[in-house]
Amino acid sequence: MLASQIERRAVRVPEQARARRSPSWRHFWGVTAVEQIAKLVAVLTLAVAVLYVVGFTLWTTWISFTDSTLLPDYTLVGIKHYTRLLQTRIWQVAYVNLLIYGIGFMVFASAIGLLLAILIDQKVRAENLLRTIYLYPMALSFVVTGTVWGWLLNPGIGIQGFVRGLGWTAFRFDWLVDRDMAIYTVVIAAAWQATGFAMALFLAGLRSLDADLYKAAQIDGASPLRMYLRIMVPAMWPITIAVLVILLQFAIKTYELVRALTAGGPGIATTLPTTVVYDYMFQRGLMGAGSAAAVMLLLSLLVIVVPYAFYQRLSARRLTRHG
Amino acid sequence: MLNKSLLVIGVACAIGGTSAYVEAEPRISVISQWSAGAEGDAMNAFGDLVTKAGAKWEHNPVSGFTTDMMNKLRADIIAGKPPAASQLKGPEIQAWSQIAPTVNLDALVAAAGYEKVISPELARLHKVQGHWVALPLQVHRINTLYASKKAMDKIGATTLPKTWDEFNAMAKKMAAAGITPVAHGGIAWADTMYFDLSLIGVSPDAYRRAIMNLDDKALRGPEVLAAFKQLRQMTGWMSPANAGQHWSVFLPALMKGEYGFLMMGGWASGVLKKGKFEEGKDYLCGATPSNVAKPVFDLNADGLIFWETKNPDLQAGQKITAQVAMGKEFNRVFTQINGSIPVRTDVELTDPAYQDCQRDAAANLAGAVAANQVVLSLAHNMAQNNAITAALRDVLTEYVHNNSISPEEGQKRLADAAAAAR
Repeated sequence: MLASQIERRAVRVPEQARARRSPSWRHFWGVTAVEQIAKLVAVLTLAVAVLYVVGFTLWTTWISFTDSTLLPDYTLVGIKHYTRLLQTRIWQVAYVNLLIYGIGFMVFASAIGLLLAILIDQKVRAENLLRTIYLYPMALSFVVTGTVWGWLLNPGIGIQGFVRGLGWTAFRFDWLVDRDMAIYTVVIAAAWQATGFAMALFLAGLRSLDADLYKAAQIDGASPLRMYLRIMVPAMWPITIAVLVILLQFAIKTYELVRALTAGGPGIATTLPTTVVYDYMFQRGLMGAGSAAAVMLLLSLLVIVVPYAFYQRLSARRLTRHG
Repeated sequence: MLNKSLLVIGVACAIGGTSAYVEAEPRISVISQWSAGAEGDAMNAFGDLVTKAGAKWEHNPVSGFTTDMMNKLRADIIAGKPPAASQLKGPEIQAWSQIAPTVNLDALVAAAGYEKVISPELARLHKVQGHWVALPLQVHRINTLYASKKAMDKIGATTLPKTWDEFNAMAKKMAAAGITPVAHGGIAWADTMYFDLSLIGVSPDAYRRAIMNLDDKALRGPEVLAAFKQLRQMTGWMSPANAGQHWSVFLPALMKGEYGFLMMGGWASGVLKKGKFEEGKDYLCGATPSNVAKPVFDLNADGLIFWETKNPDLQAGQKITAQVAMGKEFNRVFTQINGSIPVRTDVELTDPAYQDCQRDAAANLAGAVAANQVVLSLAHNMAQNNAITAALRDVLTEYVHNNSISPEEGQKRLADAAAAAR
């Protein structure tokens, strides 16, 4: 036993560190005590996370099968809220809006972020300054973004008013008050905020690529465009996935941006599932229906994430098998 | 040594025991949505009256619409520490009294002879199973029409339109003169209110059957269709660039004559008074157009509900506050600042601090009570509880902002929403 412990210590503790260590009678307990504390902290954090996320999700799911209104009531009544919600117009509008907004926001933000990252990667002067400027919108809260873009996109006092004032009186940019186009204004405001973040991640990915690939391609006579499209972008696939996942959870969480920008839109044109959940739970005092809406939102997220997790598992297993 | 210290302790306890009964220091904790402006001032005045009567006043306003205040209230109730009193109104008083115990005010009401001077509609709303649990604070007329004097002068009109036809004709003239006829912000409850006012103007009886009783036949009937048609005409006269903005944003422009009409509750006259605009000179005020000869009154009444508490200080404070709220002085002061009507029918409005708008509304109320045409406002959560109101509001706000929905389609959606929410 003593031999294996010495072996363990020899593997874990390099020679120089051993000279600095505490008195010898603590060597045995020193290592394992630190380990135990680390394990304890990790377990505690995990327990709290499990309780809050999983535990309360299960509680909400239970409530969604009950008839709770102002206060929770634990008697089950079946899937009534789900069927009713699927037939309500506001939920259908909210869902379609989530698809439009989610896909638009993710594609827009990552495409422009990637473009900006590639441009900044060209060894421009003042690169730090530019990067800071592009990343700055992330420091704002969604409420501020929504309020300011609300002013900018207002037909009377914003961009349309300004351009018309310059002389082009037929200019129209009243998407904010047009019930078909209002959701795209939310896409614009959200993409403006998150593009810098996508850019920063993509830049890190670009910088981490092997310079030899570039050189080999240059020797073979590839133009810069071909180099980026054929080498860099495919090699950055893992970073792209990371960016998309983070943007996806931004999109699903969006509530205050819609509240500040359009307050639900002309009529109900920019409602999102999150606003419907809040509305049902807190404004209408229908806890059961609100919980059902929240659970449906979670399910739609799982529908994307679970197959992706399976795909990751499968490809990892394939690699180890063939590796 | 031990005996001596025991003796000292014993004497101290005896002295402490005889003076153990301490006078309760009355205080009251109130939450409401009235944080600023004329309404905030009115609550401060209420607080002054309560302080003068001997209770410490703690008012914690929650700014926003009523539902924001109700969220805070529910959180407090669930935490087991409800405020001693809170603002609440309409059918929510019935719903919320189920989730937390309330104070029975019957004895106080009887002692003050209050029930005799309150209209039965109001009394009914503030009683649960025949017992008083809340006191009405003020009454607002929702169906108030404000017209910009400058806009009226421009089209050569001197009096407010009395029927929908007159209103439509005046609005057309205003549109031709370059004035936006209807000043509307585009918030969901305001959209719903315009529908209420259209329907009341067509037939208050149909409103009662369709909106207050949710009768399906009435909802699919011709009066509701006529109301939708009138509402569609009015949406054509609203500025499309205004979406999601508070109605008060347009008051300065209304006074300048860029907008013609505003339909809003009586509190707007309080806001205008605070903004130093004068009745008769800057704006005209009266009832919204109605095709029915006898007066109609769309009622919105705010109430103060008292939550049961074990704290003797708060209990004493509740008694004092209730007595103040039932008094004439409170009625006068509160309504003068707010632009509302006193709930006591024996308060004279001859005081010059009252505006003509309020006297007009009070006369309107008396006439409507006599003609049995007092209805409860849907948009202001008086006619139905929050869930049903919100379901109807979704349909109406979409209708207002989407010109491609026909009146027939709008009516069908409203009736379907009511059927689903019932």
